[in-house]
Amino acid sequence: MAYSVDRRQLLLGGSALLALGAIHPALAQEQRLRLIFWGSQARADRTYKATDLYTKANAGTTIDGEFLAWADYWPKLATQTAGGNAPDIIQMDYRYIVEYANRNAIAPLDEFVGSTLNVADFDQAQIESGKVNGKYYGVSLGANSSAMMVNKAVFDELKLPLPDAKTTWEDFAKLATEITKAGVRRGYYGASDGAEVEPFFENFLRQRGKALYTADGQIAFDATDVSDWFDMWAKLREAGAVTPPDIQQLDQNNIETSMLTQNKAAISYGHSNQLVGFQALNKDPLAITNYPRHAADSKGGHYRKPSMFFSVSGTSENKEAAARFISYFVNDQEAAKAIGIERGVPESKAVREALAPTLDDLGKAAVNYVANLGDLAGKLPPPPPNAAGEVDLALQRKAEEVAFGQQSVSDAGPAFVAEATEILKRKS
Amino acid sequence: MAVRAGEAAGSLGAEAATTPSLWSRMSERIGPGYLFLTPWLIGLFGLTLGPIIYSFYLSFTQFDLLTSPEWVGLDNYQRILTADPKFMASMRVTFLFVLFSVPLKLAFALAVAMLLNKGISALPMYRAIFYLPSLLGASVAIAILWRTIFSADGLINQLLWTAFGISGPSWISNPNYALWTLVVLSIWQFGSPMIIFLAGLRQIPQDMYEAASLDGASQWRQFWKITLPLLTPVVFFNVIIQTIEAFKSFTPAFIISGGQGGPINSTLFYTLYLYQEAFGFFRMGYASALAWILLAIISAFTAISFLSSRYWVHYDD
Amino acid sequence: MTTDAVVTAALKPGSMEAEKAAQRPFWISALIHAALIGACFIMIYPLLWMIAASVRPQDEIFTSTGLIPSAVDFGSYVRGWNGLRVSFGTFFLNSFVIATLCVIGNVLACSLTAFAFARLEFFGRQFWFGLMLMTLMLPYQVTLIPQYVLFLNLGWVDTILPLVVPKFLAADAYFIFLMVQFFRGIPRELDEAAMMDGCSAWRIYWKIMLPLSTPVLATAAIFTFIWTWDDFFGPLIYLNDMRQYTVMLGLRTFTDSTGESDFGGLFAMSVASLVPIFLFFLFFQRLLIEGIATTGMKR
Repeated sequence: MAYSVDRRQLLLGGSALLALGAIHPALAQEQRLRLIFWGSQARADRTYKATDLYTKANAGTTIDGEFLAWADYWPKLATQTAGGNAPDIIQMDYRYIVEYANRNAIAPLDEFVGSTLNVADFDQAQIESGKVNGKYYGVSLGANSSAMMVNKAVFDELKLPLPDAKTTWEDFAKLATEITKAGVRRGYYGASDGAEVEPFFENFLRQRGKALYTADGQIAFDATDVSDWFDMWAKLREAGAVTPPDIQQLDQNNIETSMLTQNKAAISYGHSNQLVGFQALNKDPLAITNYPRHAADSKGGHYRKPSMFFSVSGTSENKEAAARFISYFVNDQEAAKAIGIERGVPESKAVREALAPTLDDLGKAAVNYVANLGDLAGKLPPPPPNAAGEVDLALQRKAEEVAFGQQSVSDAGPAFVAEATEILKRKS
Repeated sequence: MAVRAGEAAGSLGAEAATTPSLWSRMSERIGPGYLFLTPWLIGLFGLTLGPIIYSFYLSFTQFDLLTSPEWVGLDNYQRILTADPKFMASMRVTFLFVLFSVPLKLAFALAVAMLLNKGISALPMYRAIFYLPSLLGASVAIAILWRTIFSADGLINQLLWTAFGISGPSWISNPNYALWTLVVLSIWQFGSPMIIFLAGLRQIPQDMYEAASLDGASQWRQFWKITLPLLTPVVFFNVIIQTIEAFKSFTPAFIISGGQGGPINSTLFYTLYLYQEAFGFFRMGYASALAWILLAIISAFTAISFLSSRYWVHYDD
Repeated sequence: MTTDAVVTAALKPGSMEAEKAAQRPFWISALIHAALIGACFIMIYPLLWMIAASVRPQDEIFTSTGLIPSAVDFGSYVRGWNGLRVSFGTFFLNSFVIATLCVIGNVLACSLTAFAFARLEFFGRQFWFGLMLMTLMLPYQVTLIPQYVLFLNLGWVDTILPLVVPKFLAADAYFIFLMVQFFRGIPRELDEAAMMDGCSAWRIYWKIMLPLSTPVLATAAIFTFIWTWDDFFGPLIYLNDMRQYTVMLGLRTFTDSTGESDFGGLFAMSVASLVPIFLFFLFFQRLLIEGIATTGMKR
């Protein structure tokens, strides 16, 4: 359309000017980088401390930061991208990186690796996770893994052992049922109903040797897997081990409405870097642990994934400067102290070592959890296909239908597989 | 006299009124009207029509926001009307919402406006308090609050238990009841139509009531024969506007259901579905088609209302 | 002037009602007041809850259901005000500026347009009126992207222009429609009398219509202010620089479902943000109700 052509010409002209500036320092203007990220003010405080350190160390560069809540972030970013107006440095999520990369909304960073962008002491698998079609698009800002958040106080009160690396599904069911029966509080259950939690489902599949998606974007599970999954939760519901459906629906998949925070269950599900957030809203002390094993020897359910990335906008005029900032963000130790582990466990080994002594108990617990997964963790899965978000939504709805009795467990399996396949097949 | 009428009717026309020239006749017909419309016309052609036409074009394309739109003809419309279960679900939810929230909201608004119009002491205070919910709008704070009140052990159930011994379900998280909590939210915010009704009531000349009282007409008769007929333009406005707004209702469902329209699509309002498609799944073309279908439905309703208004709305001009 | 008398008589505040009220038996008054107070409590319970939530400890907000907090701590207000890099004072100022400009724009532009539709005859009137209504019916999500690109090309993104200029161009069809309905309720005799005296359309608009329409203009002012204040999507899309954020946008950054949130701060600032719009409402509602009985029509 006519508008975007004009825009591109403008950008070409602009980048030409800046290229001139790079060659002739006399022509160089003050560099302004725009950064956008999601998070709350807590994260913003940390981030801005880091950007302040950077601007102090690099006179002539300023960084304009913008942050929004998760729900507002994506519409705004999409709108800005549609207008060709996206900020230079974009915080990116595993779910969307493929979409944005495939549409050239973010730029490949391969040309900067090794020179401006230093990721030498990153875990190779974490670098791979930021690649799409073999090109490097996202620099991981921290590793996390899915986890269960546990109310330590309740377990202590009932003198029950905390779930740990050896806990199997049977153990889990037993513990949960006992907690409910003990009735320590009014309307309290052992665990939150996890049937609609996609990372949990993925963990279940991986322990069976399956996965959510294949490398070429098809579903990698079948109707039996789904039915088994729903059946397991149905039995837990019947035994009273997990929250009933209309209570469970109060949980909107965030920290403040989780069954744990709402004092309705002793266990909820999330990601390791959310431990701090959970504890802030809970009076009782919390512990972090892994998803249950199928059997004592099953493994590979978990994986360490990047909690989020920094990417560079495809239309940015300052790609190299952006890459330089990102490199600073993930490697500089002073910056790391400001950022902490709020975004996840730092990928750079040097940074991890520098940070370790500064962590408090909660921070240590989160870091150790990720570091000590051992054989619970397996290979990183391929990045999810474009429509993965929609499939996740479909899983949630299917789980709700089963929980409320609108569909039987045996029907739900084939129905969900059919729906997921159709979603993935649909041209966007 | 005739000369003056000519002047008054069109400030641009200055010819002798006995034989007005074609120019002055035309400018009488066109002149001041279009002059007054100038700001709106600039806005319409400059800012609004372009995007509207573009959105119509988009409805025939596949547009993921990140790359250019790709023409697909009637595919979007075909899928919506024949193969989209979420479309049917969201239509049902939206229609139910409109059907129940609009009449109830207007009824409350009118009743309270009439009550407040009766010269009660401390009127301004009551009026302000009744308008307060509308001030709170559809903010994050209200969403959190609403979910808390209507949850399993929230205030509503506490009241039901202490007053009637009923143990209520968790309204907001049960697919059978979640929509009704949103209907209640909408009704609770009846302040806006109430204010408009009040303004309309205030515009009714008092001497009419005085004359009727002198003639011995009862309160009820006065309401039926004076208030209601003279209020019909305002009633008409409120009906049209509240219905259009109810069809387009987005923010409450968005914030309260966390953008999901759950549980099980029971609060999937039409515009929420549209928003999911546009920004959640990067299907802006499909979302545009959805929007134009909504437009068609609302237009049909509005047209019917306007046609019917001939029979029950009384204007004084 | 007969027109004067008609105007003033039309707008006398409810003297008749005041008489009736004085004659009402006490117990009926008491009953009415009791019912009203009960209804008021239902209306403002959520506000009371918010105020309570803004002063109670963070981990109690979601877990206790009563209205009385276990401990009162105004720290949320301090934190909320200063917690973001940009103080909330700036947000309030921004919101106020935008909302005020929008009020002026809307009242002027929409009344001009409504006057044309309600009182003037011109070719194509029905057609334009229908078009105006149509702009009301389209959900904004769809024109969002094209309008964004349009404003981007005008260079207006990252300023308040996309939020304010449309109001001066009568983009809010809601108010045009509202005013049309009100204008049509004002007797034509006044216009005709004025025309016989030789008034042009503009003078009729300025000297007769507007003064008689104070209720609807006040309504438009109140609604515009409040809706602009409460709008977050427009500012979300068009304002990049946090120093230009509005209150609603600032509020939304308090909570983030993926990490830590400051709910105390959210509720504290939500309560604070109600104060200006409530004051605005109180100020303008007098105009709404009392009309303009005293000024009549000045010549």
